[in-house]
Amino acid sequence: MEFAYVNARIRGMRSRLLDRSLLEQLINKPDLDSLIAELEKTAYRQELEKAGVLFSGITRIEVAIRKDLVRTFRTILNFIKGEDAEKLLTIILNRWDIQNIKTILRGKKIQAIPSEILECTIPAGQLDEAALTELVKQPDVKTVIDLLATWGIAYARPLILNFKEYTETRDMQVLEYALDTFYYENALSVLKKDESEDARILKRMIITEIDVNNIKTVLRVIRDRIDREEAERYFIKGSTEFDTKKLLSLMKTGTIEGALKELEYTPYQFLTKIPQEYIAVEKISAFEKEMERYLVKKAVSQFLGNPLSIAIPIAYIWAKYTEVTNIRVIARCKIAEMSEKELREALIYV
Amino acid sequence: MELIKKNAQIKLAEQGRDLLREKMDALIQEFFHVMESVSQSRIELEELSLVAQHSLLIAQAVDDPVTLKSASFATRRGLTLHITGKNIMGVPVPIIEKKRFVKNLLDRGYSFLGVSGRIDETAEKFEAELDLIITLAETETSLRRLGGEIQMTRRRVNALEQVLIPELKRQAKYIENTIDERDREDLFRLKKVKKIIERKKKVVKKA
Repeated sequence: MEFAYVNARIRGMRSRLLDRSLLEQLINKPDLDSLIAELEKTAYRQELEKAGVLFSGITRIEVAIRKDLVRTFRTILNFIKGEDAEKLLTIILNRWDIQNIKTILRGKKIQAIPSEILECTIPAGQLDEAALTELVKQPDVKTVIDLLATWGIAYARPLILNFKEYTETRDMQVLEYALDTFYYENALSVLKKDESEDARILKRMIITEIDVNNIKTVLRVIRDRIDREEAERYFIKGSTEFDTKKLLSLMKTGTIEGALKELEYTPYQFLTKIPQEYIAVEKISAFEKEMERYLVKKAVSQFLGNPLSIAIPIAYIWAKYTEVTNIRVIARCKIAEMSEKELREALIYV
Repeated sequence: MELIKKNAQIKLAEQGRDLLREKMDALIQEFFHVMESVSQSRIELEELSLVAQHSLLIAQAVDDPVTLKSASFATRRGLTLHITGKNIMGVPVPIIEKKRFVKNLLDRGYSFLGVSGRIDETAEKFEAELDLIITLAETETSLRRLGGEIQMTRRRVNALEQVLIPELKRQAKYIENTIDERDREDLFRLKKVKKIIERKKKVVKKA
């Protein structure tokens, strides 16, 4: 697959990512205004200026970085429009489509006003702002699914298949689980047909994500004492190392400590080093943070991979997403006057 | 007759005052009992609220406020509470049905696969806060009503003690004085009549 042109452009974009020293400078800013002033010297200037017309303070920063993220990902999609590589890259960006579809369905279920729903979407995937606007205009859940099916969006399929159960139970989780599992199953089935090196790289990344999600699920169901058979429904299939059997054996331990012990000789050994105080109170967010860091590090390390492969876009997408998260964490912690230690704990460094 | 009536009224007022005092003592005892649990719950609520706010802040920072709002669409629904009542020394206080709002991972209305543990923890802490607020609503209402009743009873006791009983006693005293005065007048009059009669008898004898 041809990634030479895309990767050349992405390398240019990568140079505009904030480096560690700039993040340190942002952390050391005394207030939000000086943080905005510093950010205005970076690639976020354009979006900050636009957002400054309508918003101020933290909202200005959040809107600006969100729009910048969307603009960046759309730019990458435009580089490869119509090429074979588009199919692979959209797999990564489809996670935003899933999130947006879920937001619209949730909003439609409670009959939230369309503008409120639209505010909660991030059009960084295949469905652009115009498509999302059209979707939120639909009167109910059924018509949203119908419109997705009319447009030939693959995600309409699990929704149609599970709609009957939804109408019987009125439980949005039915549709959401169907979407979440379909995302990974669909990604793996697309990649299975493709024997290229790019597909292999992407598959490795997707499987790592599946593993991370499944381990998180195991820890969460252990914490909430959910029935083993019930929990099995929520495992995402596709991983070879952490298949259902292995995940069930983790669950059988019955405690977080037990599950962590089972993870000792796996790539997730780092979870056993989490402070005992978090393990004692079963603080899932502490495990989640470490797993997210692991995932981000693994994705960003792809910058060192084959420079003519999909590795570079994968690394860039994750690096950009992490950067936006880091800026938001710094800004939010600044307005809450949190200590530097707490701020650094919340950050996801690359 | 009137004096007997007044004395009966004084006795009744004094009995009433004593009963009200006893009621007030019982209410105060109950008031302090409820207050202890309210102040304990208040401290707990403040601590829980701080922790919940902190979780919310971290979730907003890492997961983006729009993701949180999207998750809130899935969980937005009304709360139904069953409220009955009971009497404490004649004071009606509410009893709010104890319902646990802290939900299980599978009961929040969204797929936990697409929602981070941070958002779950935030939801869990706010649910626990809601539990405590409802318990507090019951005990604080009881406390307020007991306090109101204590104030009213104290006013009644004071009214009996400071106004009604002294007034009745004053009236009884006045009646007593008037009767005594009348008795003395009658005695004097009788003595006077007796003297006149005796004088008349003497005059008749002499004649």
